[in-house]
Amino acid sequence: MSATLRGLHQSALDIIQCPASEDSVTDSFGQFIQGVQPHHLTPTLLHRSKRMVLDSIGVGLLGSTTHVFQLALQHCQHMFAPDDVSSVYGRRGTRLSPTLAAFVNGVATHSMDFDDTWHPATHPSGAVLPALLAVSDMLPNNRKPSGQDFLLAFNVGIEVQGRLMRFSNEAQNIPKRFHPPTVVGTLGSAAACARLLSLERSQCSHALAIAASLSGAPMANAATQSKPLHIGNAARLGLEAALLSSIGLEASPRVLDDTAGVAGFSAFYEDYAPQPLTSPEEAGLRFLLEDQDMGFKRFPAHLGMHWVADAAASVHKLLLGELGSQGMGQGSQVVGLVQDILLRVPHSKYINRPFPESEHQARHSFQFNACSALLDGEVTVFSFSQEALQRPDLLALLGRVRVEHPQDNPANFDRMYGEVQVTLVGGDVLKGRCDTFYGHWRNPLTNESLRKKFRSNAGAVLPREKVEGLIEAVEGLDRLEDCSTLLAQLQ
Amino acid sequence: MLSKVQRSFRPVSVTLRRLHQSALDVVEHPAPEDSVTDSFGRFIQGVQPHQLTPTLLHRSKRMVLDSIGVGLLGSTTHVFQLALQHCQHMYGPDDISSVYGRRGTRLSPTLAAFVNGVAAHSMDFDDTWHPATHPSGAVLPALLAVSDMLPSNSKPSGRDFLLAFNVGIEVQGRLMRFSNEAQNIPKRFHPPTVVGTLGSAAACARLLSLERSQCSHALAIAASLSGAPMANAATQSKPLHIGNAARLGLEAALLASRGLEASPRVLDDTAGVAGFSAFYEDYAPRHLASPEEEGLQFLLENQDIGFKRFPAHLGMHWVADAAAAVHKLLLGEQGSGGRGHGSGVVGQVQDILLRVPRSKYIDRPFPESEHEARHSFQFNACSALLDGEVTVDSFSQEALQRPDLYSLLGRVHVEHPHDNPANFDRMYGEVQVTLVGGDVLNGRCDTFYGHWRNPLTNDSLRKKFRSNAGAVLPREKVEGLIEAVEGLDRLEDCSPLLEQLQ
Repeated sequence: MSATLRGLHQSALDIIQCPASEDSVTDSFGQFIQGVQPHHLTPTLLHRSKRMVLDSIGVGLLGSTTHVFQLALQHCQHMFAPDDVSSVYGRRGTRLSPTLAAFVNGVATHSMDFDDTWHPATHPSGAVLPALLAVSDMLPNNRKPSGQDFLLAFNVGIEVQGRLMRFSNEAQNIPKRFHPPTVVGTLGSAAACARLLSLERSQCSHALAIAASLSGAPMANAATQSKPLHIGNAARLGLEAALLSSIGLEASPRVLDDTAGVAGFSAFYEDYAPQPLTSPEEAGLRFLLEDQDMGFKRFPAHLGMHWVADAAASVHKLLLGELGSQGMGQGSQVVGLVQDILLRVPHSKYINRPFPESEHQARHSFQFNACSALLDGEVTVFSFSQEALQRPDLLALLGRVRVEHPQDNPANFDRMYGEVQVTLVGGDVLKGRCDTFYGHWRNPLTNESLRKKFRSNAGAVLPREKVEGLIEAVEGLDRLEDCSTLLAQLQ
Repeated sequence: MLSKVQRSFRPVSVTLRRLHQSALDVVEHPAPEDSVTDSFGRFIQGVQPHQLTPTLLHRSKRMVLDSIGVGLLGSTTHVFQLALQHCQHMYGPDDISSVYGRRGTRLSPTLAAFVNGVAAHSMDFDDTWHPATHPSGAVLPALLAVSDMLPSNSKPSGRDFLLAFNVGIEVQGRLMRFSNEAQNIPKRFHPPTVVGTLGSAAACARLLSLERSQCSHALAIAASLSGAPMANAATQSKPLHIGNAARLGLEAALLASRGLEASPRVLDDTAGVAGFSAFYEDYAPRHLASPEEEGLQFLLENQDIGFKRFPAHLGMHWVADAAAAVHKLLLGEQGSGGRGHGSGVVGQVQDILLRVPRSKYIDRPFPESEHEARHSFQFNACSALLDGEVTVDSFSQEALQRPDLYSLLGRVHVEHPHDNPANFDRMYGEVQVTLVGGDVLNGRCDTFYGHWRNPLTNDSLRKKFRSNAGAVLPREKVEGLIEAVEGLDRLEDCSPLLEQLQ
């Protein structure tokens, strides 16, 4: 029909011709997703992305022990008929429909805020990996993806997220309106699944567009029990989008473009300037992960906590020195010594909680993490248990905290710092400062540290052989002919 | 060891509140009982059947009837088939909640809500309110799915069902009044995906008899599942917006029923923390009056709903009525020249001027698909000029490709007068046709038949229903549904409604 109509187009007076969709930003993404090749994965990309896969599985396995995960799993098992397709992290014999498995595993991954963080800020792996695992489980035994295909699809999902975040300046700072995993994560999942499902180029674009209609959760729900569902839903709904696209559903072919008067993906941002992705057929294609590594957490709390924890830990050492000279132990003695605690941190209401009233809030509290590290010398998984949350020593210290927001300390993971200044009852002042915590992309965890974190996490639910088997499978992922080895050891 | 890690939150609030006094920097939150969010939870849980006035009963039952009818017709569309296949293939077989018009086909409750919501919006034939959204399609499929899910011996009564329905509609209307942005044709987010999801959550929370705080949390959980960009409207995906509103709102209520919690202040305007306000440029939330007080009045009492006479965006109905008036004049002209219509019309018309509100979304001079045609002032005006009316069949492939129609489309200009705002309560449509002889014929429509200011009669509504439902159901079920809905508030058990949908 369009041929006849285009003949009439010439006589239209008022219409601005839309450029052919082949020139659109949206289409450049479709082309990238469908067209990128294994050889595009450089050694740096292979190394960095495999570390992400390992860490993400580990935190997901640990997360399968949380209450919110149990709730999400029960919901899926009760509200949907039994479906023996895709495996659930850490739960031997438990399988769900692919999208539901992606959902619960995504919830697990983010359930303790222990998953990776990138710059600009989002948690990229948890939105993508569970969906890819679910799809791989779904594919027939004789057609499982190779490890290389799997890893390439994973990198596609990460890259798309990174590119989308660079479409706006708003994304550079701690988010105010929408929780980034629910904006870019959903499209990242859709992209990765579209790639693993070998969709056509235009289907890849439509998967992104369909995903846009399933994106966008408000920040108010972060630091509540619902936050992990943000990642779970990003994984699940992105996969749904790819599946719907695979059976022919179409949505806006210009969803990523900036079209006057018609909000697409731009709806989620105040400022928006999209850029096309370089064609995979040209020489210039470079993945963002090549130039901007990933941050892995050493303890399960918002990334911002890691700066104050490291700063407070160094003050703790000084405190021990003070105590040592008077011959006493720590804990209540620390409390006895400390008169006042000043934190110099970026301005962000979201992580400024003087008296957190739940585990979730504690993971998002400068004050809580600083005081925990002052008391214990570190923050760990156990710092957020009910007992730890209610320690009288901790509560005593919390009551002595003040917060300042220096002008030179922006709410930006690439440029912020954390300072802890403790005034002792005698008048002495002890200071600690952290510019780059250990685990930040500028100061990455060693492979040893990453494996140690994984063993601790995965070991909470899996026997040792599977823990080691997963390390081996992931470290050799790009050489695996068949990713079943990975799939078979997740529960 | 892991049990410490496993335990979810138990508030430590008692000890901490004593320390609160010494905090210097924190802004005390008002107790949640005073929040806007909590007032909504209280309304959802606490409103009583006697608060449904005769006007509300009448208007809401008409909405239920129309919504079922358009859903049944929508079950014949390609997009519906696609959505249904997706659900059937991607999820294990689950014989719980029925699918519109498909005898023997059942799905898990949220999936049934999804596909039936897709059906309801698949042809843009469902109801429209002011401020603009399509309220019933986001709510009714979810309530039907929940009702199917409940055991046979504890199905809701018709009255409970209708009350839950009204709760879902009311919540949507209230939410839309939180911003001025909502008054005009939407620019960023498609309203059914913003207020519809929360409306569904509210209605389902009510039907599931959730506690007051669970009702609030259902709204908050739903907010994280809301918000689809306008760019996907007038694409094949648009019906999924309503389908997902129904489905995800139900999910939210189900998760809340299991104890999942989210932001207790999601509807409130808290500085620095975006909740539901994230979806709007300006935001000023207001409490809902307590159901226990005298002052509670539902919005539907004062603002009726618009039902469509043909399946296209609401704005099309003004130009269609205006063009139909010109069509009559044209027939008069032709009569005096002794010819028939169709090509006769084409031969006479030199120029067509439409005076309509400015909205890129429905300004499409040469629509290239059925979906685009439903969102084209030009297409609907020309169809009505040719045929004297726009009907379901005006959007068939054959009708879309008629040479007569193309000819007319090529002669259309559009103007956007300053006094014609993009607002369903105040817009008008004018069609001015200049004939080859120089004569000018004018048609104008301020309030189309079916608009809330000029509602369809009960006869017209039933006629629309019979035509829609009759496309997929035998006559006894069609009439049975009319009877069940018209007497819904008197049904002891809503099963007669549930049993005749397929």
